[in-house]
Amino acid sequence: MSGAMWLAVMAAALGTLALRALPLVWMRRRLRRSEDDPGLDAMPPWLGVLGPLMIAALFGVSLVPQRQDPVGWLATLIGLAVTLMAWRRTRTLGWPVMAGVVAFGLVAIVARLG
Amino acid sequence: MSDESIRHAPPAWLLGLREAIPLLGGYVPVAISFGLIAAQAGFSTWEIAAISTLIYAGASQFLFVGMAAGGAPLWLTVAMTLLINVRHMVYAPNLAPWLTDSRWWPWLMHGLTDQVFALAHARLPQIATPQRLGWFTGAALLAWASWVAGSILGAVAGEWLTRRWPLAGEVMPFALPALFLVLLAPRFTSFRWSLALGVSVIAALALTLGGLTNVSIPLAAACGMLCFHAVRQRPRIAGRKGP
Repeated sequence: MSGAMWLAVMAAALGTLALRALPLVWMRRRLRRSEDDPGLDAMPPWLGVLGPLMIAALFGVSLVPQRQDPVGWLATLIGLAVTLMAWRRTRTLGWPVMAGVVAFGLVAIVARLG
Repeated sequence: MSDESIRHAPPAWLLGLREAIPLLGGYVPVAISFGLIAAQAGFSTWEIAAISTLIYAGASQFLFVGMAAGGAPLWLTVAMTLLINVRHMVYAPNLAPWLTDSRWWPWLMHGLTDQVFALAHARLPQIATPQRLGWFTGAALLAWASWVAGSILGAVAGEWLTRRWPLAGEVMPFALPALFLVLLAPRFTSFRWSLALGVSVIAALALTLGGLTNVSIPLAAACGMLCFHAVRQRPRIAGRKGP
């Protein structure tokens, strides 16, 4: 990489860190101010709603299978159903994910190799 | 959590590390693809490792190497990379109420990717305050290390790996939607939330299928937000018809 390219990498890296870290500095100041002034909302209400909705959007994006064919979509549907059932049964984080991946994999392997 | 249960629990960093393992299923195959594509675009293995270590943002890294290799002006390459990452601005403020006073937190935000945010948003409120820094450090470091290691692996042996295990690249990324589903499921607590979350999921899926992957997350979240506020206003309108 040329010197200019390294500079571009550093600029992108520092910019990304700033996008992630500076809002935290702002929010911490706001939280400290709200401790002194009980009338001030610590967390703007829209921000508290936006967090879970961003996760929902991430979920929607991640639903698109690597191979967008009937097998890919069927494996996704079955994988989600198994994940949800495992979550309802265990209420844990790891086991439902593992069950979902195994179910997805079984459908994909059986359909593609069968 | 009582003092007794904290004493018998595994160290916080180890718990974070363990709970971030599902992220690997999504990170490693995508990182291998990134390493492979960047190597084909002319970047050396250690340059690829440096990009993954320093920028550490999936979609924007693909864009960065694609534009740079295509000869786009570097200022435009950096600007587009940052534009894709603008959505990260809302992540840290959402976690702030659960973070301690440690000065390490702003630096740890380097590891605040989409997936780490989703995991931390669900788990930090459930973890005892003194354990949170360790938990986040463990989770974020594992995710970061897996991304860098996957990129190097992709640069060195990506072509061979994708030829040898083509199905692994298709199956492993399902860990991400499965994880997001588990993190989201407890949030379907009311009609209002279910509608807003459901609309966000469907909008993001539709926008991604329509080829608008890079803007789909903020746009879909905005659609969900509109629904959330529309439902709140409904009783007021109905109230006007009453006595």
